[in-house]
Amino acid sequence: MEASDEATQGTPPGGVAPRRLLALPALLLIGVAIWEIVATRCAASAVADDAAWTEAASVVRAGYRPGDLIVFAPDWIDPVGRLHLGDLIPLEVAARMDADRFGRIWELSIRDARAPETAGLSPVATAQRGGVTIRRFERTPVTVLADLRERLATARVESPGRRPTLELTEVGFAPRRCIQIVPVPGTPARITFPAVPLGSVLVGYVGIADVFTRRDNRAPARLEVQVGGATVAEATAGVDDGWVRFSAPTTPGSADVTIVAHATTPNRLVCFAAEARQ
Amino acid sequence: MPPGMRSSICGLVLALITVIVVVVNQRDVGVARDEVVYMQHGSRYADWWVGLVTLDHGPSKDSITRSFGGKGPTDGNREHPPLAKTLFGLSEKLFHDELGVASELTAYRLPSALLHGLCVWLVYTMALALWGFAEAVVAGLLLLFLPRALFHAGLACFDAAIMTMWFATVYAYWRCLDGRRWPWQAGVAFGLALATKHTAGLLPFAIALHYAIVGYRSGRWRGLVLHRWRLIVSFVVLSPLVLALVWPWLWFEPVAHVRDWITFHLRHVHYNFEYLGENWNAPPFPWHVALVTTLVTVPVVTLVAAALGTGAWIARRDEVTYPDRAPGLLLALSAAASIGPFFLGSTPIFGAEKHWMPALPSLCIAAAVGVVWAGRVAFGVLAAWRPLADRWRYPLIGALATIVVGAAAVETFTAQPYALSSYNALAGGAPGGADLGMNRQFWGVAARGVLPVLAREAPAAGAPPVSVYTHDAAPAWGVYHRLGLLPKTVRDAGWEQQGIDRSQLAIVIHEKHFNRHDYLIWRSYGSVQPVFVLRVAGVPLVSVYRRSARD
Repeated sequence: MEASDEATQGTPPGGVAPRRLLALPALLLIGVAIWEIVATRCAASAVADDAAWTEAASVVRAGYRPGDLIVFAPDWIDPVGRLHLGDLIPLEVAARMDADRFGRIWELSIRDARAPETAGLSPVATAQRGGVTIRRFERTPVTVLADLRERLATARVESPGRRPTLELTEVGFAPRRCIQIVPVPGTPARITFPAVPLGSVLVGYVGIADVFTRRDNRAPARLEVQVGGATVAEATAGVDDGWVRFSAPTTPGSADVTIVAHATTPNRLVCFAAEARQ
Repeated sequence: MPPGMRSSICGLVLALITVIVVVVNQRDVGVARDEVVYMQHGSRYADWWVGLVTLDHGPSKDSITRSFGGKGPTDGNREHPPLAKTLFGLSEKLFHDELGVASELTAYRLPSALLHGLCVWLVYTMALALWGFAEAVVAGLLLLFLPRALFHAGLACFDAAIMTMWFATVYAYWRCLDGRRWPWQAGVAFGLALATKHTAGLLPFAIALHYAIVGYRSGRWRGLVLHRWRLIVSFVVLSPLVLALVWPWLWFEPVAHVRDWITFHLRHVHYNFEYLGENWNAPPFPWHVALVTTLVTVPVVTLVAAALGTGAWIARRDEVTYPDRAPGLLLALSAAASIGPFFLGSTPIFGAEKHWMPALPSLCIAAAVGVVWAGRVAFGVLAAWRPLADRWRYPLIGALATIVVGAAAVETFTAQPYALSSYNALAGGAPGGADLGMNRQFWGVAARGVLPVLAREAPAAGAPPVSVYTHDAAPAWGVYHRLGLLPKTVRDAGWEQQGIDRSQLAIVIHEKHFNRHDYLIWRSYGSVQPVFVLRVAGVPLVSVYRRSARD
């Protein structure tokens, strides 16, 4: 049976205006279809190409100084950014603890995105190259007095499990250079860094490495920070928490810093990094 | 030519066009990780059947176990029923090995393409029976022009196949509600669906509820069972028989083997999957995954048309052919049974839209009803406004349908061959999908796009081979070699850190949980800089790294 004539399909008994409204569905479909064709083709060419990135990279290279941080936004464009400027990004910078120690930050962004490292900062220079926005930020960086990662070799370890190692690994889907320890469940692993020069604050981060162990083992990890035997900070990292920040005020001077890692399940890859800052 | 024959030919032409489009499109689509497994086991199954038919061996327990099973839960790929795999293997034997008319990969994939053509024909045929020729043509074309469905139809996997078998069951059941004496078609179709993919097990929820409603309307409580009781017999008797017939693994210890099959999927590991910026690999999952994913992967115009069509269908439900068989309700229940479990928050969400593809025929039929209804009503408005001869009715509907189908086609072809990374205009295309944090891809398919880059790194004659860390593309490497897409001197380096450490080149197929491969490579290569980044619409799909000469 064929569909019946349109005259029987909802033509209102009222006047001309209501009748004309019945053309709206067709107009809607035409409008959506035309918009979709245009939008689809535009989206396919909306992102900056290699020529634009090459020009943008040349802007950065002209003003780059060793020790500068280069970031890309949105995060999904990071591989393209590294393709063009990766030679200016050392491993330890790519896998940084955070951005606080960098006084100059270059941000290359597309689609009006901003990198979290530049949140709250105002650019001192801005340029546009074919859809790539280059912003340079300058600020007073923190002064790092001691980086616990650099002191692992002299640390005292009290743990029945594996000795901690310095790794470049995935934590929260980001690269992190961190000290990895695998505590025996129920037995805290203690790592003591002797005679650490302290400033006014100890800042650190903790997270659980490796997406697959996070999937298969959903228990959190806990970190305790002791200075001179007293607990000054604690942080708990769940499997979906990523890189969890902790900090504690410290008295300038030298003291032993002990990191105590707790896990309730086997093979919990606890990763941390910490700095004593002026 | 009688109108009926003309309509039939039109449906067949649509199906043929679909098969051609799928076959042509798949030539640029990389080899999916799981596809390699299905191809290998498909060939084993096909060998077994050929050996049985040619009396090389009998149906012994040993020979069946060697080809179809084993002690482990995935031995012989027995966690998946064999129908599609067997067809892949037979197709490769015939069209590649014997006739030489298709490449190995195309021959394996041909059954999926043929089944997709069959699905378009079934959709066309049901829409024709329910509403008319215009709706039928539009429904078939809208099904053809679905970016993700077209992509999946070009793989030697189960997703396009189960959509066809699912819808074939729905259609056969609906036809068999006419009270025929031998409604064998429904039972056979459902048996084939079960033999294609375990998700067919959801279909009885839709059919049972529909049967109950239609039966109750017809004969009250008595009708719940007796309305078309032969259909129940068909499902209960024929479906298991068909499943068992095509799956020799069930020829002995059938209860244990069926239990193993179902248990495997009830306890399936949750693969990593990115959704709205988060990586998900453990329940509870967001309830809206299926809704949002469908909204950003089906052409927008098809979604709008489906919304209009659903409204028009409800308003005109008594005008549809055979309203007593409640076809609209059946299509709605079919879609709901397919997509519904993904609202529970516990059903694995990896694979996303491919797991609820059986909902798409219902969506496309509704969309076609919406397009044609809008066209007819618009013609009525125009005719009332200015005198317009009736002969302009179908050209006007045709023009509206053309622009709607055209928009869907633009979405579909723009998405290829990286349709898993593609999102519709509502999302903003592939870049919009990336901004939203939607899944970039899976199965390592995009690695094919960097093969020319890797091939350029092939060593000179006589020089040692080059090793490439290939991670998710490793299973496909041998296929790429056999297809001639990559010199055999560019070989797979092996797994994880050991593979990376002995490699000269490395690729990272970008998915959120694969970031770890970048970092493993950085550590080994001492650099964060890739030498090439494959992109679709500017969105990174695969990075290629080259170890520095000084290393």
